[in-house]
Amino acid sequence: MTEKGIFQRIKKDWVIYLMLFPAILYFSIFHVIPIIGMKLAFQDYRIIGDNIWVGMKHFEVLLSSPAFMDVLKNTVIISSMKMIFFFPIPIILSLMINELRNGPFRKYIQSVVYLPHFLSWVVIAGVWISLLSPVDGGVNVIRNFFQLPSLDFMTSKDHIRWVLVFSEMWRSAGWDSIIYLAAIMKFSPALYEAARIDGATTFQQMRFITLPQLMNTVVVVFILNLGFFMNAGFDQVFNLINDSTISKIDILDTYVYRIGILNGQYAYATAASLFKGVIGVILILSTHFVSKRLTGKGVW
Amino acid sequence: MRRIFKKFTWSQFIIASILLLLSFSVLIPILNLLAMSFSDPLKVHKLSGLGILPQGFSFINYEVLFSNPLIVRSIFNSLFLTICGTALNLFLTALAAYVLAKTNFVGKKFVILFLIVIMVFEPGLIPEYLLVKDLGLLNSYWSLLLYKAINIFYLFILMRFFEDVPDSILEAARIDGAGHFRIFTRIMLPLSKPGLATLGLFYGVYHWNEYFRATIYLTDPNKWPLQVVLRQFVVERDNTTLLGAQNVLSYDQVQALDFGSLQAGTIIISIVPLLIFYPFILKYYAKGALEGGVKD
Repeated sequence: MTEKGIFQRIKKDWVIYLMLFPAILYFSIFHVIPIIGMKLAFQDYRIIGDNIWVGMKHFEVLLSSPAFMDVLKNTVIISSMKMIFFFPIPIILSLMINELRNGPFRKYIQSVVYLPHFLSWVVIAGVWISLLSPVDGGVNVIRNFFQLPSLDFMTSKDHIRWVLVFSEMWRSAGWDSIIYLAAIMKFSPALYEAARIDGATTFQQMRFITLPQLMNTVVVVFILNLGFFMNAGFDQVFNLINDSTISKIDILDTYVYRIGILNGQYAYATAASLFKGVIGVILILSTHFVSKRLTGKGVW
Repeated sequence: MRRIFKKFTWSQFIIASILLLLSFSVLIPILNLLAMSFSDPLKVHKLSGLGILPQGFSFINYEVLFSNPLIVRSIFNSLFLTICGTALNLFLTALAAYVLAKTNFVGKKFVILFLIVIMVFEPGLIPEYLLVKDLGLLNSYWSLLLYKAINIFYLFILMRFFEDVPDSILEAARIDGAGHFRIFTRIMLPLSKPGLATLGLFYGVYHWNEYFRATIYLTDPNKWPLQVVLRQFVVERDNTTLLGAQNVLSYDQVQALDFGSLQAGTIIISIVPLLIFYPFILKYYAKGALEGGVKD
């Protein structure tokens, strides 16, 4: 196409550009400017006048700070715990739901287990603080029934990370099972028919027919989760953290919030979140290419 | 009767029982709060942590909550933010989705690449906060309405819905002399109601549950949405705000109030709108989320 042709097309399609304009304007202001704003990680913030370039100063402080190392450690530990103990639950749940016939009972189970996904972490924190209350919370009622002493889970350094894992299960296990359930629905019924005729039990059908076919989806979801490994669940921690447990569950994002928004150390906090962002981008990009190589399906 | 039972194997019975128990583990904590909120404050201590029936029956908690100006205002603030925010989101997202899904123009590939790039780079909290501050939007609802005005994931999902509308219909309209904007409002939007409903629920749930940006951007408590007020009660344990109810109740009644029950009532109030829309959420949300391949 000639130069002139392109200009003529642009002129002819002016309505299209007009319709696209609000989106482009929005993305330029609310996405591009903050991305450029990350240069603050290499500067000192000034309220009046221009910021001063300080090179890698904040990163040097960051990486030699024991507080930051603790936060990094907590992030990795909490994410790993979720990967190990939470990740398999939706898979098992989808296998179980799949065994239910279509009907009111299945509908009831699905409607109930998906529900917590739609509650905010503020609400879930409220529900869990009440559920784990040392006075008359449901969990301690059960513990007392088995002659075990009441525990104050919310302020216990030994238990709080498990509170994160289990509240994550409560919220997301049901919803996350949807993607597996959708995959299972597409499997050929003929295989199950044949297995039943050969006398395979329900459990054997799960183990030898459903699970092997599901592995592809499992790998994709696992790789996707790996891309968000450094997140560890900001909203969850933000609402379940308190002074007694801060040393155990303060993660990168809550740390950035505290030193940045609460203490006003904007530049230092930006450096911390850029550090997290770089690891995140490396993880997402590498998982994208690994996933594409292994399964033919990328992150986008 | 016998025949019905015969259809079920033992393993199916065990699986159904486990799932039933799991569903109780989700429902009982919520029903317990519901029971607490309707219990008589003097008898609520008798309610077990697993109980789902109110001890005595009283509306006093809700009377106190609904006579607290901060809470009533926050409910209206939340409704306002959810309705206006979702409408703005839908309009902007649909406009962009139509252009990207159904038209060809110079630079389209570049725009899509641009979207993917900014989707990968998360600028993080501080640069966003400073931008809102520099724009003078602190303590203004515009900060909440404009932040995430278009979610790129959702934009891609809506584009897939739009792509399902046959080109032949749009072509016919174009031949009849309709311009792009007319085709968008008269044909594209009416033909994509399921897609728009799906996205409306995505955005609506997001706005109703939003508390974090509101916490840091809105400094005036009168502007707080319900989730921020709720957070103040249940997470920050701020009792004093709740006892603004003193002027409608006698001193003895205030003495008798149970703080835990008031918290429970606030939690229930914030869940109710979600429950009202839950049948629609089940119908559209799950399908849309799968179609977009997003996990959120």
